[in-house]
Amino acid sequence: MRFIHYTPNTRSVAPATAAGGRFARADIENQLDWLFGAALTGLAGTPCAGQFPVDLYEDKDNTYVRAELPGVNRDAISVEIVDGSLSIQASRKAKSGEGENAVSLNRLVSIPDEVQADKVFAAYENGILTVTLPRKEEAKPKKISVSVN
Amino acid sequence: MSLLNTLIPSLSRAGTNGDGVACASRRPHFEVEETEGAYGLTVFLPGVPKDGLEITDEGGELRITGKRAPKLPEGVTALHRESSDAAFELVLTHDNTVDAGKIGAELKDGILHLSLAKAESAKPRKISVN
Repeated sequence: MRFIHYTPNTRSVAPATAAGGRFARADIENQLDWLFGAALTGLAGTPCAGQFPVDLYEDKDNTYVRAELPGVNRDAISVEIVDGSLSIQASRKAKSGEGENAVSLNRLVSIPDEVQADKVFAAYENGILTVTLPRKEEAKPKKISVSVN
Repeated sequence: MSLLNTLIPSLSRAGTNGDGVACASRRPHFEVEETEGAYGLTVFLPGVPKDGLEITDEGGELRITGKRAPKLPEGVTALHRESSDAAFELVLTHDNTVDAGKIGAELKDGILHLSLAKAESAKPRKISVN
């Protein structure tokens, strides 16, 4: 099943065509975003159905991966490190007519090599999953003081 | 790079409206379903805590605003962004077919469920013929 609920593009609410049958500027922008989207999201793996927006942050000690996963059961979230990539999998129950469907969401994010895989932890709050990836000690920037005589 | 920004709108947009001014708000994804006595509204608001949410109903206009609360330590730098920090805003008009006194709201894990009871005047009425 295709995940159709999320619209990450803020302008995708624009109508498909403007009055008079001419293309609206926002529509052309959407088309361009769609065309180039595949190339631009290369950092975070191949885009496919069931994806969700991911942010990457870093400071001197950690790398943070933040994923927007509203309405997901905590038990249904799985975070794994496989071959230097962070794999996030989740599922959400979606109503379709009378019954309920489970929508599966997954994303593969490339992460730096110098991560301490055994100290990775994740937190889920307000529909946002934050994975903290601590850096290895030797990869952290070190300050070396040099005394000049 | 400036040529690339001109060609690909999303590059220059990233949290701004293209003119370098931060977007005031964006419209969240939402779904509406109708039952006999009420409307059910589901709004996707990832990153919005309970105290960042405001729901008002005035003059047949239901307004939902949700401010995102960033939960990251100080001093982090963004390497790659796909989400936006702009607040969510959704305005729906209902022409007073909803009983404003009977609106129930529940926010859980970034999803807001609203139940909007239909006003008596909007409910179907069966008229018997003598």
